[in-house]
Amino acid sequence: MLSGLVENMGLLCSRNRRYSAADSEENAQTAEIERRIEQETKAEKHIQKLLLLGAGESGKSTIFKQARHTNGSPFVKVIVLYADNADILYDGSKELAQNETDSTAYVLSSEHKDIGEKLSEIGGRLDYPRLTKELAQEIETLWKDPAIQETCARGSELQLPDCAQYFMENLHRLSDTNYIPTKEDVLYSRVRTTGVVEIQFSPVGEHKKSGEVYRLFDVGGQRNERRKWIHLFEGVTAVIFCAAISEYDQTLFEDEQKNRMMETKELFDWVLKQPCFEKTSFMLFLNKFDIFEKKVLKVPLNVCEWFKDYQPGSTGKQEIEHAYEYVKKKFEELYFQSTAPDRVDRVFKIYRTTALDQKLVKKTFKLVDETLRRRNLFEAGLL
Amino acid sequence: MASCAVEGGCPTDYIAISVATLFFILLLSRFILPFIVHKVPHTKGSGFWIPVIHIFASFNLLLSLVMSVNFLKFKRRHWWQSCYMWAAWVEGPLGFGLLLSCRIAQAFQLYYIFVRRRLPPIRSYIFLPLILLPWIAGAAFIHMKKPLNHRCHTGAPWIIPIVCLHALYVAILVGFLGAIRHIEFRFDELKDLLRGIVVSASSIGVWVFAYILNEIHDEISWLQVVSRFLLLVTASVLVLVFFSISSSEPLLSQISLKKREPKEFETMGQALGIPDSGLLLQREPTPVIDPNEPLDKLLLDKRFRQSFMAFADSCLAGESVHFYDEVHEHEKIPVDDHVRRIYMARHIIEKYIVAGASMEVNISHRTRQEILTTPDLAHPDLFNNAINELMQLLKMNLAKDYWSSMFFIKFREEASTRSTSHDLEHMTGWNFSPRLSSVHCFDDPFHHEQFSKCSSHNSHDPDP
Repeated sequence: MLSGLVENMGLLCSRNRRYSAADSEENAQTAEIERRIEQETKAEKHIQKLLLLGAGESGKSTIFKQARHTNGSPFVKVIVLYADNADILYDGSKELAQNETDSTAYVLSSEHKDIGEKLSEIGGRLDYPRLTKELAQEIETLWKDPAIQETCARGSELQLPDCAQYFMENLHRLSDTNYIPTKEDVLYSRVRTTGVVEIQFSPVGEHKKSGEVYRLFDVGGQRNERRKWIHLFEGVTAVIFCAAISEYDQTLFEDEQKNRMMETKELFDWVLKQPCFEKTSFMLFLNKFDIFEKKVLKVPLNVCEWFKDYQPGSTGKQEIEHAYEYVKKKFEELYFQSTAPDRVDRVFKIYRTTALDQKLVKKTFKLVDETLRRRNLFEAGLL
Repeated sequence: MASCAVEGGCPTDYIAISVATLFFILLLSRFILPFIVHKVPHTKGSGFWIPVIHIFASFNLLLSLVMSVNFLKFKRRHWWQSCYMWAAWVEGPLGFGLLLSCRIAQAFQLYYIFVRRRLPPIRSYIFLPLILLPWIAGAAFIHMKKPLNHRCHTGAPWIIPIVCLHALYVAILVGFLGAIRHIEFRFDELKDLLRGIVVSASSIGVWVFAYILNEIHDEISWLQVVSRFLLLVTASVLVLVFFSISSSEPLLSQISLKKREPKEFETMGQALGIPDSGLLLQREPTPVIDPNEPLDKLLLDKRFRQSFMAFADSCLAGESVHFYDEVHEHEKIPVDDHVRRIYMARHIIEKYIVAGASMEVNISHRTRQEILTTPDLAHPDLFNNAINELMQLLKMNLAKDYWSSMFFIKFREEASTRSTSHDLEHMTGWNFSPRLSSVHCFDDPFHHEQFSKCSSHNSHDPDP
C-alpha cells in the first residue's frame, strides 16, 4: 500500500513539476501577449484617423491615390474603360438628336453611326477587348465628328465624366502595345468607389519619423454608400470633405433630378451636425478648381439655386477669383450656420485644390499635417 | 319593454355589446400575437399599416353602431354624442368605408403586380384617401341635409342611396378579386381575401336587412330590439373574419398561429422553393479557381461566391454580391412561372433597388428608373443592366484585393482539404478518422488546421 502511495506521490510530483513548467511557460506567453497589446494600444493612440468624405465624383479617390503615391506605395494597374466615354457621348448625341428642336447639329454621319453602334455594343459587355490601333483610330474619328463635339459641349447634362476629353485626346498613346500607365493616367481615370478603402502612412516632413501615423479612409460618395459611413465615425481626428466646385450645373449620377452642388451643400450640413464630430477638425477641399476656372466664364454661377444671388463683376482672371471667393464665402457661411456654439472652437480650414495636380496636393497635405500637429499640441496643453 | 326598445339598455343590448367587445379583443390578439409569439420584427410600409388601419376601422364601426343605435341609455347632450357624428362620420368614412377601402387597396396592389405585371403607379398611402372621398362626400352631405330624427333613424328615401354606397364598395372589391382569381398565389393571399369576402358577404346580407328594418320600422319595439342585436353581432363577426394579415408580403404571412406549420424561411429563394437555394452540396466537385478568368464566370461557382461575398462584406461593399446572388436565384425560376418570378423580382426591388432600401446598390439613375418603371415585372432580362454595372464596379474595386486577402487563402485551403479528404475517403473507406494520426492533438473541428498544429506541437513538446 505504501509503495502504491509513493508511486502516486511520485506521479503527483512529476505532474506538478510538469504543471509548474507549463505554468511558467504560460506566464511568459501571457506576459508577452500583454506587452504586445500594450504596445499596440499605445501605437493606436498615436494613429490619427482621417476620413475623406464628399458626394459622388468630388475627387476623394483621386486625393487618396495621391496620398498613396506620395507615401511610397506604387500605383496600381489601371484599366482604361475606353468604350464607356464614347458610349456615353454616342447615346447622348442620339438622345439630343431626338429631343432637341434644332436636332441637325447632333446627327452623325452614317459611317460614324456604325462606329458608334459598335462601341455601344462593346460598352454593354462586361469584358472589353484590348484597345487596338484600329479601334483607337475609329474612336478618334467618332470623337472628331462635329455632332459629338456639340454633344460634348453639353456634357454637363449627360453623366459624362470629367476625364473624357483627356482620354479621348490620348487614345494613340493608350493603344500602344507597350503602354504603361503614367501617373497622370492613373489619376485621371474615373472609377466609382464602393465600400471602404484605407491606407496607413507616416508623413515624412522636415522632422523625420515624427511618430505621427495617419490612417486615411476613402469611401464611396453615392447615396447608397453613405449609410456605410457611420461605421467609420468613431474617434476621427479630421474629416477631409471634398466638394467639387465645378459641378454647380450638373446632376447626380444616382438621381438625375438633383443638382450636385445642392446635394453637396446638404451633405456638408449633415456631416457637420454629426454628434461624433464634436471635436473633429474639418478640412474643406474645394476641388476641381481647374475645371471651375474654365467653366465659370461660360456658365454663370446663378444656374445653381444656392448661388442665385451671385453678381458677376468683371471678366477674365479677376472674375474667376471673384467667383471663387463667393463660393468660399458660401461654404463658410454654411459651416457657421451648421455649427452649434459649443463646437465653434474646432478647427476649420478651406483649401483650394485640384486633385490631379501632384505638387498642389502634396503642399496641401503638408498644410493639413501642420494644422493637425498644432492642434494636437494645443490639446495636450503645450501650446 | 317599450322604453328599453326606444332608449336602449335592454338585456339583449348588453349581451350584444359584450359579444362585440369579445370579438374585438379576438381581432386584436390575431394581429398582435404573431409578433409576440414568433418575435417577428414588424415590417415597414403598407404591409404593416394596412392591418393597423383595418383594426382602427373595425373599432370605429363597432363603436359607431353602439353609440348611434341606442344600445346604451344616455342623453345626447354634447356635440360629440350627436347622431351625425356617429351615424354619419364615424360609421361611414372612418368605419365601414375605411374597412373596405383597405381591402380594395390591397386587392388593387395585387391586381397591378400580378395581372398587369407592373409596380403599382399610385402608392397605397395616396390611393387609400382617394377611394375614401365618396364616403367623406356622402357624410358631409348627410351632415348638411340633416335627415336623421332624434333616434338617429332616417326614412326610406335616404336608406336607398346609403345602402347603395355600401353595396358599391363591396362590388368593387369583388370585382378586383374576380380579376385576380385565376392567379395561383403562393402565399395564400387569395385564400385569405376570398374567405373574408364569403363570410362578410353573407353577414352583410343579414346586416343590411337588420339595418333597413331598424331604420324603417321605428314603431315596432321587438323588431327594434332584435334588429339591433343582429346588427351588432353580425358586424362583430364581419370585422373578425374580414381581417387577415396577408397583404402579399409573403415572408410575414408565413407566420401564423397554426402550430402545425412553423415554417420560417430565411431567404426569399427558400420561401419560393427555388432548388439549391442556400445549400452547399457536399458532393460537388471543386473546380480549380483561376484568377485570370473573368469575374462573372468565377462567381457562378457557389463556394467561390460565398467566399467573395464574405470578403465584400468585410469591405462594406457586400450588397453588390448579395444582389448578384439573388438575381442568380431569380434566373433559376422557369420563364413561364410568372407568379414566382414576380414575387422574386418584387423582393429584389424592395431590398436592393428602391431609393433608401436596406441594401441599396450603387447603380445609375437611368438603370434604376428602368427597373422601377418596367412594363413587365416577369421579364427575364429585368436586372441585366444593373448586373453589368455592378460587375464593373466589383471588378474595379474588389477583384484585385480579393486575391491577396485572407478570404481567398482560406478558400484555397478549404478547397484543397476538401479534395484531399475526398480522395482519402475513397482510398480508405469509412474507417478514416483524422484524430488517430496524432495523439497529442486536441480536438479540432477544422481538419485543415489539425496537421499544422500537430506538427508545431510535436516540435515543442516538453517531454520530461
